[in-house]
This record gives sequence, structure tokens and C-alpha cells, in this order.
Amino acid sequence: MELQVDPTLLYRVVDRGRELNAQYVEVRFQSDYRVSVTTRNDRILAVSSSKSSGIGIRVLVNGALGFAATNSTSSSDLLELVERAVSQASATSRLRKKPIEFSDENLSSIKYSVDEKKRLEDFNVEEMIKLAMDIYSTARSAVREVKLPFLVTDIRVHIQEKLVVTSDGAYVESRIPRLHISVLSTLLHPQKGTLQRSREFGGSGGGELIERWDPARAISEEQVALERVLVSGIMPPREKVTVVLGPEVVGLIVHESAGHPMEADRILGREASQAGESYVKPEYIGSYKIGNKYATVVDDPTLPNSYGFYLYDDEGVKARPRYLYKEGLINEPLHNRHTARIFNVKSNGASRSMNYASEPIVRMGNTYLVPGEMSFEELIEDVDLGVYVKSYMEWNIDDIRWNQRYVGLEAYIIRNGELAEPVRNPVLEFTTGWFYSNILGVDRNLEFHPGICGKGEPSQGVPVWFGGPNVKLSKMQIGVLA
Amino acid sequence: MNDLALDLARDITEKLSQQFDEVAVLAIKRRELMVKIWNNEPSITQMWSRLNLYLRLAKSGKLWVLAYETHKPEVLLKHTDEMIKVADKITESELYAPLPDYAVCKPVSGAFDGNVEFYMNYPDELVESLVVGTLSTGVDRVSGTITLSRVERVLTTSRGYECSEVKSEFEVYARAFKDEFTGHWAHGSTHISHSAIREVGRRAGIYATITRNRVDFTPGEYNVILSPLVVGNLFEYVAHMASALSVLTGFSMFSKYKPGDSIATESLSLYDAPRDTSLPGTLGFDDEGVETFNKPIIEKGVFTTLLHNVATASKMGTKSTGNAGWIGPRPWNLNIPGGDMREDELIRELRNGVFITNNWYTRLQNYYEGIFSTVSRDAALLIKNGEIVGHIGRIRIASTFSKLMKNIQGLSRERYDVWWWEVRVPMRAPFIVVSNIQLTKPEV
Repeated sequence: MELQVDPTLLYRVVDRGRELNAQYVEVRFQSDYRVSVTTRNDRILAVSSSKSSGIGIRVLVNGALGFAATNSTSSSDLLELVERAVSQASATSRLRKKPIEFSDENLSSIKYSVDEKKRLEDFNVEEMIKLAMDIYSTARSAVREVKLPFLVTDIRVHIQEKLVVTSDGAYVESRIPRLHISVLSTLLHPQKGTLQRSREFGGSGGGELIERWDPARAISEEQVALERVLVSGIMPPREKVTVVLGPEVVGLIVHESAGHPMEADRILGREASQAGESYVKPEYIGSYKIGNKYATVVDDPTLPNSYGFYLYDDEGVKARPRYLYKEGLINEPLHNRHTARIFNVKSNGASRSMNYASEPIVRMGNTYLVPGEMSFEELIEDVDLGVYVKSYMEWNIDDIRWNQRYVGLEAYIIRNGELAEPVRNPVLEFTTGWFYSNILGVDRNLEFHPGICGKGEPSQGVPVWFGGPNVKLSKMQIGVLA
Repeated sequence: MNDLALDLARDITEKLSQQFDEVAVLAIKRRELMVKIWNNEPSITQMWSRLNLYLRLAKSGKLWVLAYETHKPEVLLKHTDEMIKVADKITESELYAPLPDYAVCKPVSGAFDGNVEFYMNYPDELVESLVVGTLSTGVDRVSGTITLSRVERVLTTSRGYECSEVKSEFEVYARAFKDEFTGHWAHGSTHISHSAIREVGRRAGIYATITRNRVDFTPGEYNVILSPLVVGNLFEYVAHMASALSVLTGFSMFSKYKPGDSIATESLSLYDAPRDTSLPGTLGFDDEGVETFNKPIIEKGVFTTLLHNVATASKMGTKSTGNAGWIGPRPWNLNIPGGDMREDELIRELRNGVFITNNWYTRLQNYYEGIFSTVSRDAALLIKNGEIVGHIGRIRIASTFSKLMKNIQGLSRERYDVWWWEVRVPMRAPFIVVSNIQLTKPEV
């Protein structure tokens, strides 16, 4: 890994900040390089490339935080910037009654990078175009009764490099290559209308991820299933029935209703005006039961090849698995050094930044519901009548992460313990408390799906994985679209 | 005029014109400051100083779009060398059309407020005003942000177009908390306004304290009042779906319509208004050098035009609407004309229904059909017999954009310039009254 910036430049900025009486100075070089190909059906829309690189400086002065960023790497610009950051933080410190403090941590000096069996930088535009064309032609030839008027594919390589140094001893140099594929498809039937799907593949690693995902096959198989839903899908049952959710839906649910409400900055109200607060109160930690024995949700940034992968966070703290909910108990929030200090604990390494120009804030990495032992067949064998929801399109959740909705896309009736005819647009609305208290069983089929999670001011999108097994829930009333 | 950015853009255009048939270079230099407020105190002050370079390169109908944040043109030129190497491996872009011929540069004027630069050095005065003003309504705490920006924009093309302009941006929003209840308001402009800061705090505070009652809510169809924040969020989705690229990719309800179709009640018009220099999305020329102009997307209920760049216009047999976006056309500022209802009589005139003051998390099940839901936040109030009876908590609108636009019963005369986390295209919007809209809330 060849560093794109001279570390001594970053240390000069740290030193200058300290000379100006900053209690803490953190300087982060970050480079994000992306190459992408976007196609519509069998035509190229564009070949795109972007390079964002620069330096973000965060200072703590008289108990107030300041952050400044520039894409200039000139020494004089950076020294001037740290002076401005200190000056602004100092000016606003008079408006703070309680000083901001950071937790003391054992910080590391470390370099790490993600292995690539096939270097992503060698995954060239020509291969991307070929893959996109394969995805379209395979999908189009897979469907029989519907048309596929629109299939938009975006294939994106992202190489992220960072160097974080802090005034209290952290030095973390990292290189994380990521690959992401999104496919937006519209199925059209002259009498039955349309059905739309957004499918994503994402992870960290090299070009070998393509072989693992086999996206052309996965997309075409899914189009066949969705064709059945569009052509033959029935309304969901009117009576209350058992609901079984697939890993994609479960992953999204735990991201939204376990990951987000367990972000300590949200619990404390720091994101109150936009991303919102949390139903979780500080006093719930370690004492409040939100669910039953199946409700164990982990966030683990260290999962190999994950989309939300990192080993050290942007404050230099080593990452580790965090048990957000443990057998139903609200257990451990995600912390950075600021929130850890308030909770009087150590940071668990959840501080992430989208790019050099972004303040590091508390974020998820890879969040999942812990799987069980049984097979999918065993999970549904005792269901007389139910609905299995495998994928979704529409979803949302309120700003305290309690009231949520998911509208199924690929879904099936479960009859006498087996999957039966497809169901169209089943609407699930429930609260966080109901979901985690009504899990009747989980199977062993843990799957992850990628996403870009949004939070912060200005909004920052960071890559994450969310996942889980198939989950069986108590009987509930399934809604329909208005 | 930004000589550094202009010189850089010219230089890059000239150099790359030797390798490519067409070159457009867009340079955007931004200086920004944001103070974030948490529990009545600044939680962080953030500053940015950056130069972004965007390139549109074409050769034999093949199209590359590049974005760089760098002060070093040599880095950029090295990457473009890589791009040209694969030219024979790729096919023509479906979205290629020649850049427009030379045109006279007509930048917007009057969109820059020097006070924005001044207050970048003294933001604490503005923060204090927002916090004190909000707390004076009797609330317990306030969160929010104040953002100030100076934006310089330069475009040069190999067709000889050169233009530059400068504007300022001012964004403020606040959320007020009183016990379990909250209120929210937001404002965006090219000019700083102390009265707007006070108004944001005052309205947030009023909605947080408007009633202390909590009442039961039964899901079903209701007549609703949507605040300008909700209108701003939902009609931003409509405007994005009016981008010709959204139609070409199937992610638009406008895929089903053609200009001239009646798609809303006659009282609704929706304009893209880049020439309104008071709104922060203003600009005089788009990313292809086409002069911008205000235009109706929907006028008196009738779908009027999609938003185009030269490529989508060429593909659909029409003219650019000055909304480039090199790949996707996009709206700049949005404007919904007011109606004849008085804001202070909306609740009385609604008689029975729900007043939704803010929302977030709008998601679509199907863009082609315009099926969506969105969640209320802050005050959502049950109205009975023309009076507020209490908060109904966090509820959800679950409907279609078609139904929403066809069921509009009235719009307020008063309009507000809103811009915040959930409204990213600045919008001047009224309150809107809509009949028979499905509202839901989990029953478990």
C-alpha cells in the first residue's frame, strides 16, 4: 500500500493544533476513488470515475468541537485551516455549559488492508460492461409472460484509503477496496401492471466477489420469481396469519430497529433535529428487555469481505463485535470516544466518516440477527397458513425507531408447512417491541445484504451490511396497499 | 468571477480537447460553515473549503463523466489518459448528444449576500439567536443547524462556452422539544435573514407546544393539512420523477403520462424556478451551458414538461429545458403557487381531519405507479370540529402521488421557503389540504 500523503504533514497539523491549545487534534487523510459503468438494458449510459481526496481536521478546544476539511494538501493551507478550526471551536465554546470530553483509549499504530485475489483496479471497464450486458440478456431471456422494459445496472469499484493520526497517539493506515452492483428492474404485464425491484450486491475484497455472487444468475432467477408474483400473485390472507421473513427483510429490520436506536449519539439526542432520537433511553442499557431469547443482534465491522468492513475506526479505536441486543436485553450501544465518555465506558470503535470532508460520527458496520440451528423447512413445517416475505421495496421507520413498515415484493403463501402460491404486496406494520417479542424461531441461513446508510449533518452515506436468518413471527394482520 | 477556477477549467478544456471530440469542465469552489446545535448548545462547528472539478468527455459518441476533488490538474489528466485507453472497448452512450453551440454567458445576479461571508467568521451570534428565540416559546430544548455557504461555479466547454457565477446559501432548521412533544421548521435562502432565524425557532416552538393532549388514532382515510415541510418533501419526489432520465429508466410515474395529460387538480402547479435568485438552488446556466429558465412541470393540474438536458431532449425529440445534469436532468428550485386559503383558517376550515407538520423517510414501492408511504414526525394533530384535539403520535401517509395530486382541496396563500435534511431541492411551498388520504399506524 503506497500512501498518498506524507504523514509528517499530518503531524505538523497536529502539532500546530496543540500549540494553539487544542486538547485533542485528529487529522485524517482520506481518498475515495470510484469507477463505474451504468447501463440501461443493452446500452451504455455512461462510464464514470470520481476521485475525492483531502484532509479533515477535528479539534477539541475549551470543551467545544471544531471540524475543518479541505482538498488542498498544501502545508500552508492546512496550517491555516487548523487555526481556523481552533478559532471557531473556541468562539462557540462560550455557548457550551458542559464541556465535550473524549474517553481515554489504548490507541494503536497499525496498517491494514483488505486482500484481493483479483485486484479491483484490474477489473476494467470492459469487464464491467460485459457483466452488465450479461445481467440484462440473461434476465430478459428468463422471463416469458412479462416484458422487461427497463433494467438499469450500475457496477462500481470503490477504493478507499485513509490515514488517521491523533494527538494522543493513534496512527491507522488502511486500504479497503469495495465492489458494488445495483440492478433496478421493471417488469411489465399488459393486464397485471408493473412490479419494480432494486437488488444490490456489495462487499469488500477483489474481483473474486463476482464469482461468489454470480449476479447474472441471481438476477435472472429472481426475475422469474417476480414474474410469477406479478402474473399469479394473490392478495394476502384477510385473517391473522403466521409471518415468516427472509434474511433480506430481517436484515433491514435489525438495521433500522436495533442498529439505529442503539447508536449512542442518537440516544443522547445529538442527531435529534434530523436523523432523530431513539426509543432507547440511557437508563435502558443493561436493564430493559425489548425482546425474547431469539432477539440477539450483533454489529460487527470486522466480518471478512463485508461491505461495512473496517478493523480500526476513524478515531483510531480497534473495532470489535458489539452485542446490541442480547437475548432480548438492550445490551451495548455503538460508541465513539465522545459518547463513551458520557456513558463512562470505553469506545467500541463505531466512529466512521463518509469522506475526508465528513465529521466522524457513530455508525453501524455490519448488523445482523444471530441465526439458529434449524433448516428453513423445519422453521415452516408447523405453519398451517402463513405468508413468507422474501424481499421488499418500500419501507420506513419513525424517528425514534419504533413504528415501522415493510412492503413485501417476492412473497408466498405458506400452506401446510410448504411454500405455495405467490402473494402481491403484503404490507407489514409493527413496532420494534412487537417484532423482537414475537420471534418464534430462526433458521440457520444467515445472509447479508449491502446498503448505504445515511446519517449526519451534512448527510453522510457509509457502506454497511445488514443480515439475518429466516425468522418466524407470531400471527399478525397483513395489510394491503391503499 | 473566480479566476483560479476559470483558468483551471480553461486549461483542462484546452488540453483534453486534443484527445476528445467534446470537453466540458465544471468547476465548483465552495466555502462553507455549519454549526450543529444539540440540547441548546453547539455540538460541533464544521468548515469546508474545497474545489470540485467535473468533466464530461465525449469521443465518437462515447461518454465519460468524471468528478475530482483536487487542486492538482495533473492527477486529473492522468486519469483521463486511462479513460481514453478504453475508448475502443466501449460502445456509444445512449445518452450522448452534442453539446450546445456557443451561447452568450448570462449568469444570475443578486444571488450573493456578503453577510454570509461575514457570519462565517461570527456564527455564534446566529446560533444564540436561534437557541434563545426557540427557548422563548417555552420549550425545554432545541436542536438544529445553521449553514452558510459561498459557492462559485465555472463552466467551460470545447464549443467555446465560458461562464461563471457566484451565490451564497443560507440554511437553518430547528427542532424544539417540550416533554414528549416536538415541533420543527426550516428555511433556505441565498440571503441571511435574522427574522427567518427567529421565525424558524418560533414555529418549531409553537408546534411543540400547540397542545399537551395525546389522543387515540384510528387508521383510515382522512382529510389532511400538509405543512410546507411535508409538501416540500413529497413534491421533491414528484420533481425528480419529472427528470427525463427517471422516465427513461422506468423509475417515474411520468412514464405513464404525456404532456397535456391532466394529472392533478386545477389548483396545483409545480414550477422549476432556477431564475428565482432568492432560493439557494438558483443558477444561470446548466451543466451543459444552456441558459436556465423557469418552467412549469405541472400547470393548473396539467403535466407540462419533463426536465431535460440536451441528450434526453434529443432522444425524446424536444429541446433542453436547461436542467443538465450530464447524465440525469434535475430540478434546481421548486415553486408551488399559493391558493386562496388563509393559513390561520386552515384548521377551522378542515373541520375534521389531521394536520401533519413534518415528515421523513418517504419510500416508494413502485415508482412507475407512484406508490409511496412516508412517516410523520413532530406534531401530527387530530382536528375535530375545527379545533385541535391532540397529538396522534407518529403516523404514516400511505398513498399514491396520483391520488395525492388529484385530491387537493386547497392551498394556502402564504408560502414558505423550505430547505433541510428531507427537502434537498429548495422549495417555496404553501400548506396544502388533501381529502381522503390513507393514514396508518401499527396495530401491534
